[in-house]
Amino acid sequence: MIKNYFKIAWRNIVKHKVFSFINVIGLTIGLSASFVIGLMIYYDYTFDNFHKDGDRIYRIVTDFKESEGEFYNSGVTLALKGAIEENSNFEATSEFYRERPMKVENRASDLEFKLPKFVIFADQDYFKIFDYKFIAGDNVKALHNPNEVILTKERALKYFPNTEVSEIIGKTLVYNDSVNTKVTGIVENFKGRTDIVFQEFISYPTLLQTRLRENIIKKNWNNTNSNSQLFVKLKANADLASIKSRFKELATEHADEQDIKYGQERIFQLQPLEDIHFNENYGIYDWTNGQASKSLLQNLVFVALFLLLLGCINFINLNTAQATQRAKEIGIRKTLGSTRKQLMGQFMGETFLLVIISAVLSLLLSRWLITVFSDFVPAGLSFELFKAPIVVVGVIILLVLVTILSGFYPAIVLSKFNTVSVLKNHLGVGDKKVGLRKFLTVFQFTIAQVFIIATLLVGKQINYLLSKDMGFKTDAIVSVYKPIEEGSLEKIELYAEKLTSIPEIKSISLGGPPPASQSSNITDMRRMIDDEEIYGDMQLLAGDTKYLDLFEIELLAGRVYRNDTVRELVINEAARKYFRFKSPEDAIGKTLLYEKEYLPIVGVTGDFHQSSLRSDIRPMTLRGDWYRGMWTYFQATHISLKSDSPENLKNSLAKIENVYKDVYPESDMRLEFVDEAVERFYKREKKISKLLNWSTGLSILISCLGLLGLVIYTTNRRVKEIGVRKVLGASLLQINTLLCKEFLILVAIAFIVASPIAWYGINNWLQDFAYKTNISFWVFLNSGCAMILFALIVISAKTLQAANANPVDSLRSE
Amino acid sequence: MIQITDLEKFYRTEEVQTIALNKLSFGVKEGEFVAIMGPSGCGKSTLLNILGLLDDPDGGSFKFNGEEVSGYNERKRSELRKHNIGFVFQSFNLIDELTVFENVELPLIYTGVKPAERKKKVEAVLEKMQIMHRRNHFPQQLSGGQQQRVAVARAVVNNPKLILADEPTGNLDSTNGNEVMDLLIDLNEAGTTIIMVTHSEHDAKYSHRIIRMLDGQKVTENILA
Repeated sequence: MIKNYFKIAWRNIVKHKVFSFINVIGLTIGLSASFVIGLMIYYDYTFDNFHKDGDRIYRIVTDFKESEGEFYNSGVTLALKGAIEENSNFEATSEFYRERPMKVENRASDLEFKLPKFVIFADQDYFKIFDYKFIAGDNVKALHNPNEVILTKERALKYFPNTEVSEIIGKTLVYNDSVNTKVTGIVENFKGRTDIVFQEFISYPTLLQTRLRENIIKKNWNNTNSNSQLFVKLKANADLASIKSRFKELATEHADEQDIKYGQERIFQLQPLEDIHFNENYGIYDWTNGQASKSLLQNLVFVALFLLLLGCINFINLNTAQATQRAKEIGIRKTLGSTRKQLMGQFMGETFLLVIISAVLSLLLSRWLITVFSDFVPAGLSFELFKAPIVVVGVIILLVLVTILSGFYPAIVLSKFNTVSVLKNHLGVGDKKVGLRKFLTVFQFTIAQVFIIATLLVGKQINYLLSKDMGFKTDAIVSVYKPIEEGSLEKIELYAEKLTSIPEIKSISLGGPPPASQSSNITDMRRMIDDEEIYGDMQLLAGDTKYLDLFEIELLAGRVYRNDTVRELVINEAARKYFRFKSPEDAIGKTLLYEKEYLPIVGVTGDFHQSSLRSDIRPMTLRGDWYRGMWTYFQATHISLKSDSPENLKNSLAKIENVYKDVYPESDMRLEFVDEAVERFYKREKKISKLLNWSTGLSILISCLGLLGLVIYTTNRRVKEIGVRKVLGASLLQINTLLCKEFLILVAIAFIVASPIAWYGINNWLQDFAYKTNISFWVFLNSGCAMILFALIVISAKTLQAANANPVDSLRSE
Repeated sequence: MIQITDLEKFYRTEEVQTIALNKLSFGVKEGEFVAIMGPSGCGKSTLLNILGLLDDPDGGSFKFNGEEVSGYNERKRSELRKHNIGFVFQSFNLIDELTVFENVELPLIYTGVKPAERKKKVEAVLEKMQIMHRRNHFPQQLSGGQQQRVAVARAVVNNPKLILADEPTGNLDSTNGNEVMDLLIDLNEAGTTIIMVTHSEHDAKYSHRIIRMLDGQKVTENILA
């Protein structure tokens, strides 16, 4: 019987090629999106799921509550471990410190490796919490003594090439010229996906031989550094409430006087291991591929769901519309003894076959989609994941669900046919379902319309963000960063000096990052007005005396500091207002308390954006390079070019790089165009825009194909009516209008429904931006017109053909 | 085999009620060949649908093999139908998407006959109907007469006790029509009960008894043999 069902299903698919094509396209698009997005969900949700007792492993993190909001730090104070390690709720507590060495040497083989990644100074409990497999060395006494290091197999083979793993034990690695360590163990790299990415584990006591010695000894309660990480493994019967209350006690006991005065609160939190992968508040250890985002996954799931739903709607619409064509077969089958259940089984089988065909096509398409959506797809995700049993089960469940969603209703409609009526050709069932089909068509076009409006408005906002004046010059300026391992100021000054000989360069300035960047440096400053104290956070920007000139930042009053090392401040308008100076001129000569010292304000600049337009302009001060004896703030050489014509740019960059090679012969030049850096603020928005473009295109495609199917069906049914009308004198336009009208009304209703939904969604999205574009009326009007135009083209393709047909042909068949 | 007593069937619209069968009573014995005649709208097809358990009467009694079946639910009717009744329609009612073989095979599938046995039975009946050489053709590739022969083959493949034929020659020319009637006679002679609705006096003469109807009632009954 099943074979018979599939046979007839296949013949039906072949017989109704256009409808089958429309159904398969719709379902294939929906399924492809679902497959890829499903894989992403599987990929992201299977991070760190292999650790022994992983559900009992937590990272302790620190939240700060202030009047200005909540701030999050993935680290803890160095003092915390000592205060909690005896707590009976913990099976193990392990602290480690992330510190990237400048270099590591295998002197015996004369090998040097610069800036090794994923190096931590870990205490002896690290390997009690994370269950690594030791392939050489001892894990019982691991990391007990200073100057020991344990390597992953991958790292060990890199540092000691062509050496047996067992022979590496006892060998020496030297970090930063002076820290000698002995390799005491080698562990397997984790096989599963993990955010615990570390490769080198230096024993914690070795930290005392580094620049961090003071910090490690002092263990200051009021210093929280995200490099200082603390993990715990809870006992099976641990009391979470008691841990929380202990954390609260510790935070209160050790609260800073200033924090109490300004109402700041510190909260230690337990972050589950599985949360690390997603929680953007605390971040991950390897940012190469960015952090997974639950909200992005959620949005993607919605997109897949909508596309799948659109495909299912096409299926329902076309199958119920076509139902009358199947009526005879149903009548005969019922007469010959088929039960309703058997008929439903048959139709569900047909649907399943179509879904299977779509699924096979989707699998092929998914490979391609993974490349197209590389911006969204994690780098480690590959097509191979389809082999995972749980993914296979997931795919089967999805296919069954789609079959039920698409096939169940048409199966009910079809199997319900009255045998006597269908055999007498007294049918009305297809027409009775017109109301439902209209509703589903409106639903489809509502989704497509919401996507169109959202695409236009997101595009408009991105345009606004990119074209809005940042308050400083962004074009034809390039920032060249000195090598990370290079601490000396002399070399960067030498570099700047040498650059002056390049004629294409207009001006040069040394400083920290450009005026707007992803990084921020914040400190607190105070102003005393009589007995009243104004206290607030200030953004710090470091630059030399030419910095303002180069970026063309307007000086409203005063001047720039006299030289690069004098302790004077140039504040912005926002700071001037925050600290309640009446006017820019009023601020000049007044002081602000900074690091226990009153510093004079010598200049006030106009406001400019310090980061993306998501944030407001904050109080800011520009400062020189006071601590250059100890370290320098000047990391970058900002170069303003005379012209940014492609030819000039190419020449200038070549010369700039040549000079760089002269000064830093061993390093690659790291450079960034300021306008590109600004554009990068909106990477996320551009991603959303790309996603929306695709979703819009695909939803229009599926909806219009569905509409075309319905139009073909309706027009074919009305072919005699068209003939009669033509004979009676109706014009081509009149007939086309008659045929198009009922469909265009549906699209227009969809527009009315979609507009407030789209407005609400976009308005919500825009709340993330301090500066936003208007939700203009014309966007809605344009998108409505565009949708109606699309629909009209699709409908007319068929209706004009029908209206043009010779009425004699259609009437002769009577 | 069949006994109907005071059988009634009404069709209602919002404003009008039409009487299709008006207290109709008659019986059919096993092995009989009965023709039902009458003008269009007299209730012939309605009667056939009720006898074929495709439709419910609104009143009266319908006994099949001595058992009252008028109150049967869909499942029981379907069971009874597929094991006991074969249908032949004026418009053949073959499924366009299935081949000749598959169309004839269909009733056997629904009665749960195993594939090997199905093949044997279908081939035997196609041979008998002299349509074997067309077994892999689709209905639209056959002539009207051939299509009706397939329809008859399908109706008898399950060895039903009763065949209901609704104007079986209505769409055929006289040669093809006579061939189909010959087939029905053969079946009847082999023991199958046949009830045939027809407008054709010529076809009706093949039967044992002609029941004439008007306005849902039996008006005359002629016994021919």
